[in-house]
Amino acid sequence: MIKLENINKTYFGAQPLHVLKGINLNVEEGELVSIMGASGSGKSTLLNIIGILDNYDEGDYYLAGKLVKNLSENQAAEFRNKLIGFIFQSFNLIPFKTALENVALPLFYQGVNRKKRNMMAMEYLERFGLKDWADHYPNELSGGQKQRVSIARALVTSPKIILADEPTGALDSKTSAEVMQILREVNATGITMVIVTHERGIANLTRKIVHLKDGLIESIEENDPDKMDFTKEIK
Amino acid sequence: MFNRDFWSEIFMALKRNKLRTILTGFAISWGIFMLIILLSAGNGLKNGVTSNFADRITNTYTIWSSSTELPYKGHKAGRFIMMNNKDIQLLESLHQVEEVSPTMSKGGNLIFGEKSRTIGLEGIKPIYKNIHGINVLEGRFISENDMKTKSKVVVIDVDSKDELLRNTEETTLIGKTVFINGLSFTVVGVCKANMWGERGMGYAPYSTLQALYNDNDCYQIVFTTKGLDTKEDNEAFKTELKRKIAALHEFSPDDKRGVWIDSQMIDSLETMRIFNTINIFIWVIGIAMLISGVVGVSNIMRITVKERTNEIGIRKALGAKPSSILLSIVMESLVITTIFGYIGMVCGIGVTEIISSVMESAGGLSDGNGMSVFVDPTVDISIVISATLVLIISGVAAGFAPAWNSVKVKPIEAMNYR
Repeated sequence: MIKLENINKTYFGAQPLHVLKGINLNVEEGELVSIMGASGSGKSTLLNIIGILDNYDEGDYYLAGKLVKNLSENQAAEFRNKLIGFIFQSFNLIPFKTALENVALPLFYQGVNRKKRNMMAMEYLERFGLKDWADHYPNELSGGQKQRVSIARALVTSPKIILADEPTGALDSKTSAEVMQILREVNATGITMVIVTHERGIANLTRKIVHLKDGLIESIEENDPDKMDFTKEIK
Repeated sequence: MFNRDFWSEIFMALKRNKLRTILTGFAISWGIFMLIILLSAGNGLKNGVTSNFADRITNTYTIWSSSTELPYKGHKAGRFIMMNNKDIQLLESLHQVEEVSPTMSKGGNLIFGEKSRTIGLEGIKPIYKNIHGINVLEGRFISENDMKTKSKVVVIDVDSKDELLRNTEETTLIGKTVFINGLSFTVVGVCKANMWGERGMGYAPYSTLQALYNDNDCYQIVFTTKGLDTKEDNEAFKTELKRKIAALHEFSPDDKRGVWIDSQMIDSLETMRIFNTINIFIWVIGIAMLISGVVGVSNIMRITVKERTNEIGIRKALGAKPSSILLSIVMESLVITTIFGYIGMVCGIGVTEIISSVMESAGGLSDGNGMSVFVDPTVDISIVISATLVLIISGVAAGFAPAWNSVKVKPIEAMNYR
């Protein structure tokens, strides 16, 4: 599903910063992978490249068998819209739209009509227990609710891949556990999932842990999350 | 693309910053308002000046008899050239000439009953009325039939009529017989003073006076032309005509005098050129004023886009195409400019219509000699359409730069922007 070959990325600022120094990684369909590393190890950059939110300088990146390189903004938008669902640490919900409108937004960009869009969005909100909160604005929701709204938004287009950047970073441990439980359930339906985290407890709930250090993959650890008591593992 | 969702997104964005939207829009309203007022004032001036010529045909020429200035072929300078039937025939033979109206002048005494006064009696043809914008108040003007039958009829001006009827029981002169230089005429009409404001004028058929006085002298000839649309055409025609008349009367074609030829067409083209220049000047000022409004909108759009950078980043991550973001920002700017522009336009048109109707009921602004200087200061539909086009162009121009900047930013940079 995701195939990275010798990915290099440098930020050209006042001081050029070589963030990724040749990343080779394969993620198969349906896998649940976490990327761990200290801050500055390049894990978020890597996720952004996978999500086509950022470009890379060298190497090749194949997504669902297609080479993602020098895409036009239109092609990139299409890829993001159809194949990828994003979950962010800071939720990135649009503040002046209700939960329902936020979830329906990706469908708007697919050209789905209003009625069908709202119906589908409501379905997903219901699935995450947010039916009664559909007309609330993000600032009227708790952190856990916000993250569930953003998970619903990521899933509403039935993407192939979910990319989550520190999905529990802004949540307390109990809510984190709930969110992780949801993400595992989503993965169980066959959706490939890549989670960036710096928390060992979160990584332990994934099947494959990629350790990143100074822009290189240090090791890839196989893991069996079912052995873990995840409520205890987190924090 | 332009469905209900698209518009509701735009109006939501505008509503979120109501005060800002209104203040920005005000600059546009004001710009268009002033543009309309200025254009109306320009139109009012133009209408005022042209209304003085309104009853007059503009494609006319006038030739006056005059003295020569240069000696020519044995003739001494200072000879008076009096035009006659030959000149009229010459003019009638020219294909550029439409109608010829010769004028014969006979001054004299006008007598009715006990009253008398001096009068300038002009022998004219019916076309004189249109060429000189004679405004008939009562009765009729000289007709073709009068010409044919050489009727002894006369049209006098209202000033003469008032004087003749002063302190009498009569209220009208129509159908009455008056004596001019001892010859009897029947009054058929009363007209307003001519456009030069001359008082004590009477008009009789040219053929009648020719027969009565047995006189072919023709002091003045007025004629209308056709197919001479540009100043160059008219200048060329005028030179050619002067040459022909000079040959007829044997004076030098280079003589500045001999006969005077005056073209109202050239004058009118000149006048129109002045008004077109004024009009261009007004548009330049108006557009310059509007530009300050457009810069305001553009500035606000830049701030709006900056504020919404995060949101735009999120939208991009969710699959918004650059074109949809570009379009929504440009349309937002377009909506501000057109809505507020229209408010300004409607206010401007409203004010000019009110001024116009007040002026109409007050009888118009005039210079004291009965000449209007300011009439109907309003704009017509073509100006409204041009102004709308200007608004649309400026709206797009104002929104495009900020929109383009927001499209260029990478989604991840936009989302991380604080």
